[in-house]
Amino acid sequence: MRKTIAAGVVAGFALAAGFVVPAQAISATSADLYVLHAIPDTPVDVYVNGALTLDDFQPGDLAGPLDLPAGDYEVALTATDAADDSAPVLGPVTITLEAGKSYTATANLDEAGAPALNLFTNDIATTNAGEGRLTVRHVAAAPAVDILAGGTAVVSSLVNPDQATLNLPVGTVSASVALAGTTDPVIGPADVAVQDGVLTIVYAWGSAEAGNLDLAVQTITVGHTAPGGVPSGTAGYAAERDAMTQAFWIVGFAFAMAAASVVVVVARRTQAAKIDR
Amino acid sequence: MIRRLIAPLVLILALSACAPVPAPSGAGAPSTPSPTPTAAPTAVADVPIVGSAPEPARASLPPVRVQVDAVGVDMEVVPVGVESGGFMELPPNPAIAGWYRFGPDPWSPDGNTVIAAHIDAPDYPIGPFATLRDLPAEAEITITGADGSTAAYRVVSVTYYPKQELPTEALFAREGTRALVLITCGGEFDETTGHYDDNVVVVAEPRA
Repeated sequence: MRKTIAAGVVAGFALAAGFVVPAQAISATSADLYVLHAIPDTPVDVYVNGALTLDDFQPGDLAGPLDLPAGDYEVALTATDAADDSAPVLGPVTITLEAGKSYTATANLDEAGAPALNLFTNDIATTNAGEGRLTVRHVAAAPAVDILAGGTAVVSSLVNPDQATLNLPVGTVSASVALAGTTDPVIGPADVAVQDGVLTIVYAWGSAEAGNLDLAVQTITVGHTAPGGVPSGTAGYAAERDAMTQAFWIVGFAFAMAAASVVVVVARRTQAAKIDR
Repeated sequence: MIRRLIAPLVLILALSACAPVPAPSGAGAPSTPSPTPTAAPTAVADVPIVGSAPEPARASLPPVRVQVDAVGVDMEVVPVGVESGGFMELPPNPAIAGWYRFGPDPWSPDGNTVIAAHIDAPDYPIGPFATLRDLPAEAEITITGADGSTAAYRVVSVTYYPKQELPTEALFAREGTRALVLITCGGEFDETTGHYDDNVVVVAEPRA
């Protein structure tokens, strides 16, 4: 049973009522979809189920979230001056979205350098207190790579179009990408923040041959775990002091009562004495 | 962030520029729009678009001092995290308060700033937070940040919670609120476990 003790205080300050799902449209019937344009030098229009959804979408741009009912969607990319999706440069590709999930679709180059569309599921589970989540995705026209944090490989032999996820202590990681088995960066290093309650996704994209390999970063706020409690008193001195103060008042009150009764007795005796005279 | 606002605007401008484009057949543009397959399409959704270049995350501005004049509290604040059991870590000395560094600070756009201190600990004097329970409504609290910025709050509530009923999700919330939450212990002390029964929680709202 909780009690509020400050006098004259407005009861029930509107603290956030329980846990608020971070800014996502995910529900029991819908999914979130992000789209990353990871094909260098090629602005496109993006059609979903025949409807123009992203107009003049630029390489390196990240769109979303789109809140979509669960189901199948046909995605096609066209030239930016296309009137419709009848002559796509990529697709149509059917993607399946399940309710309650978060996805990023990437238009990227495959290992051989041809345009491809990939659908990744984002791990939006709640992070542990003091940890953040890092996902790395290989969507570049390049062979297998190692992902290095502070110069040490934390993910080895990642191939296009695979991903790897790590839960890490909160902090800043100096991230770089090197060809598998080597430590000389081909991309980066770049500082990547690992934040409590955040999924950070790092994409290696571009083309090794064209010399435009780059890193793209997407962040999604996910649930965080609050501390289990706040243990903030371990000696009992304050409770002891309270008990002593209380005892003091009780003793003091008893004395006061005794003194009062003495006064009353004296007053009555004096009165009686007066009457007797 | 500006990019995010401009991109949809550019999208809208581009669309309005597209609308009167005549049909490729060479016929004059119709004076009223007609749903012909050859007209340039308009996007069905207004989707936020941002760049993906790595950007530094917002740096926290740690609180370094908490002052509550009504009860004579003026103490140092240091950043703290969680200890191995998942409970909030606290400075061992009750005269120093801890700010939960994985959550917001007073200058974050959203979320509660949580600062806690021991009411007492073995071999230390009783801490300044022992006076929090005496705070009246509207009492002023001032937090100073590492760069000298100050944030002002006024007390809204002082509540005892049995430890297992502490509403941690609401107190450590990161959205929908910008309160200051001060936490310590109180109530009866259990000699056998070495813990107090209750947490004393002060909630204060920002004041201009």
